[in-house]
Amino acid sequence: MLQGALAGLAAGGLYAVLAVCLTLMSRLVRVVNFAQSATGMFGCYVAVFLSVQFGLPTWLATVAGILLGGLLSALLGWIVSTWLAEADTGARSAVTVAVLLLLISLSFILFGNKPQPFHPILDGPALTAGGVVISQVTVVTVALAVLVALASRLVLSRTSAGVELRALSERPTTAELLGIPAKRLSVAVWAATGVVSTLVVSIVAPSQSNDATSLAMLVVPAAAAALLGGFRRLDLAVAGGLVLGLVQGAAAQVDGLSVARYFLPFAVIVALLLWSQRKEVWDAAR
Amino acid sequence: MRRLGALAAAVVLTTAGCAGAESGSAGPIVVGSVNALSGAATFPEASQAAKAVFDAANAAGGVNGRQIEYKALDDKGDPAAAAAAAREIVGGDEAVALVGSSSLIECEINAEYYEQQKILSMSGIGVDPACFSSPNIAPVNVGPFHDMTLSLLYGSEELGLTDICALLEIAGNTLPSYQAAIDEWSAITGKKLKYIDATVPYGGSDYTSYIVKARNAGCKAITVNPVEPDSIGQLKAAQAQGWTDVTWLLLTSVYSENYAKAVSNAGAGVYVPAEFYPFTDAGSPQNKDWRELMTKNGIPLTSFSQGGYLAAKYFLDVIRGIGGEITRESVTKALREMKPISDPMVGTPYVFGPGESHHANTAGWPVKLTTGTNRWELAAGDWLRIPARN
Repeated sequence: MLQGALAGLAAGGLYAVLAVCLTLMSRLVRVVNFAQSATGMFGCYVAVFLSVQFGLPTWLATVAGILLGGLLSALLGWIVSTWLAEADTGARSAVTVAVLLLLISLSFILFGNKPQPFHPILDGPALTAGGVVISQVTVVTVALAVLVALASRLVLSRTSAGVELRALSERPTTAELLGIPAKRLSVAVWAATGVVSTLVVSIVAPSQSNDATSLAMLVVPAAAAALLGGFRRLDLAVAGGLVLGLVQGAAAQVDGLSVARYFLPFAVIVALLLWSQRKEVWDAAR
Repeated sequence: MRRLGALAAAVVLTTAGCAGAESGSAGPIVVGSVNALSGAATFPEASQAAKAVFDAANAAGGVNGRQIEYKALDDKGDPAAAAAAAREIVGGDEAVALVGSSSLIECEINAEYYEQQKILSMSGIGVDPACFSSPNIAPVNVGPFHDMTLSLLYGSEELGLTDICALLEIAGNTLPSYQAAIDEWSAITGKKLKYIDATVPYGGSDYTSYIVKARNAGCKAITVNPVEPDSIGQLKAAQAQGWTDVTWLLLTSVYSENYAKAVSNAGAGVYVPAEFYPFTDAGSPQNKDWRELMTKNGIPLTSFSQGGYLAAKYFLDVIRGIGGEITRESVTKALREMKPISDPMVGTPYVFGPGESHHANTAGWPVKLTTGTNRWELAAGDWLRIPARN
C-alpha cells in the first residue's frame, strides 16, 4: 500500500504544479484555464519536432518548447484580456476549453497520433525508500510544486507587482482607474503559468504515456487538486495534488479499487463540491 | 399517404434497376472495406495497400476484362459511422465482398449485417473478438489473441522465463478472449501465470503503480496487449524505477519503426511474435514484392500494410478462378470452397472456408527490440506456431 502510494507521487507532483498554475490563474486573472496542460503538451511536441527534424540538442529544443508554451499562453491571455476584459469567469474560461480542443486537434494534424520519441531530461532512480525506488522525476516534480507555490506567494505578498496583481483580481475596474497596467500584468501571469506548465510537462512526458490527449487531459486531476484549495489557496492546491497522486498509486495496488482509480479525480471533484456547498440553501445556491 | 407509397415504390424500383445494371458483367467489380482512417487510433495502411494491389491488377487488364473499383470508407472509430459505412458499401454500392478492412470495432458492429446480406469480409487486420468468431469474416492476420498465446509460448518455452505476469488493457468485451488465449498457453505448457491484472487502463498517463505492483509480486516477465503510447509509458515507468531485468512479451501492435525509435531502454528486451514475416528485415525475399509495391506507392511499411496487401492478393487469386459471372453470390461461393493459399509472408496458409468462425492463422515470427539499439531484429530463424491440440 505504502509502496504504491509512493509510486503515485510523481503523478502527484505533476498534479500539484498544474494545480498551483490553475489556482494562480483563477485568483489573478479570473480564468479556470482548461488549456493549462494542453499548452504544455504542445510546447513539448514542438520541442521533440525540433530535436528530431533539425537535430537540436535535447536541452536547447526543450528550452525552445518551454518558451513557445509561454508565448502560446501569453497570446491566449492577450486575447482574453482584450476582448473579454469585463466578462465573467465562466465566459473567460469557456474560451480556454476551445483552445484545449484546438491544441489537441492541431497536434494530431501536425505531429500525427503516434507517440513521440521523447528524450528524457531526467531518468532513472534517485533514491530508495521502503523498497520503492523514488525516481528523479518524482523528486523534481514535488520540489517544483513546492517551489512554485512558495515563489508565487512571495511575489504576491512582498513585491509591488504582486500587490498590483492582487488589486487587479479583487477590483479590476478600480485598479485600472488607479493606473495599474491591467493588460500587461495579466498577460505576464498567463505567460508565467504557460512556462511553468510546459516545464513540468517536459520533465514528465518522457517518463509516461505521452500522446496528446492524455497529456492535455492532465488538467482534470489538476483541477480536482486545485478545488481542494477552492482555486484560492496555493498550499492546499499543492497538498491536494500530492494526496491525489498518493491515493491513486495506493488504489492501483488493490484489485478491487484499481478500476476506480481513474475515476478518482472526478469523485474528488464531486465530493469537494458537495462539501463546499453544504451550507447553501436551495434558493441561494441555484 | 398513397402518393408517398407510390413515390417510395418508384424509388425502390429505380434503385433496383440501377443495381441490376451495376452488377452486370460490363461494369466494374465493386470491392469495399471499413477502416479506422480517423479517430483516436488510425490504421490507414491496410486499405491503402489493398488499393495498391487492385490498381496494379487493373493496370494489367483487370479480372476477366473487368476493372476493380475499390472503396475504402472511414469508420471514425465510431460504431454508428462503422454501421453506416458498411451499409453504404454493401447496400448502396453493391460490393461483391469486403477486402482489407482494418478497424478496432467494425467486426463487432457489422458481423450480423454481413450475414444478412450474404457477403464475406476478408479483413486485413482483425482486432476485436468478433473478427475471429463470425461465419462471414475471416481476417488474414493472426489477431491479438493467438498473438498473445504465441508471445507467452515464446517467453516460457524459448526464453525459458518463469514468473510471467499479465497486464491487460481491456476495451469492451475482449477479456474472455484474452483469458482464452492465456488458457490455451496453459493447456499447451502446463504452466500458469503469476497473476493477471485486467484493470490496466487504455491511455493511462502514469503506469508506475502497476509496474511497482508487478515488481513486488516477483514478476520476471510481463505480457501486455498495449497500444504503442501505453507500452512506451509502461517501459518508461519500469526504467524510472530502475527495473532493468524485466522481459516484455508484447504483441504486433507495438511492432513499428516509430516504437523502436521511442524506446531507448527496453529492460531485458521486448519480444513480439510478428503476425507477418518481419518487415524490418529489409533484404528478405519473403517481403520483396510487397516492399516494392509499397515503396512505389509511398505507403508506410507496417504490419497493417502487409495485412491489406495479403487480403487483396488472396482475393484476386480466388476470383480469377471463378468460371462464370463475378457477383456477390459467386464470390461468396468461391471463398467458401477455396483451396488454402500459402504465402511466404505468413506461417499458415489462408483459407476462408465454410466454418462458423475463422481463426486459422496461428504462426508468428519472433522479433526483438533490445536496449540501446532502437531497431527491431529477428529473434528466430523460423515461424513459431501454436501446436495443434487434440
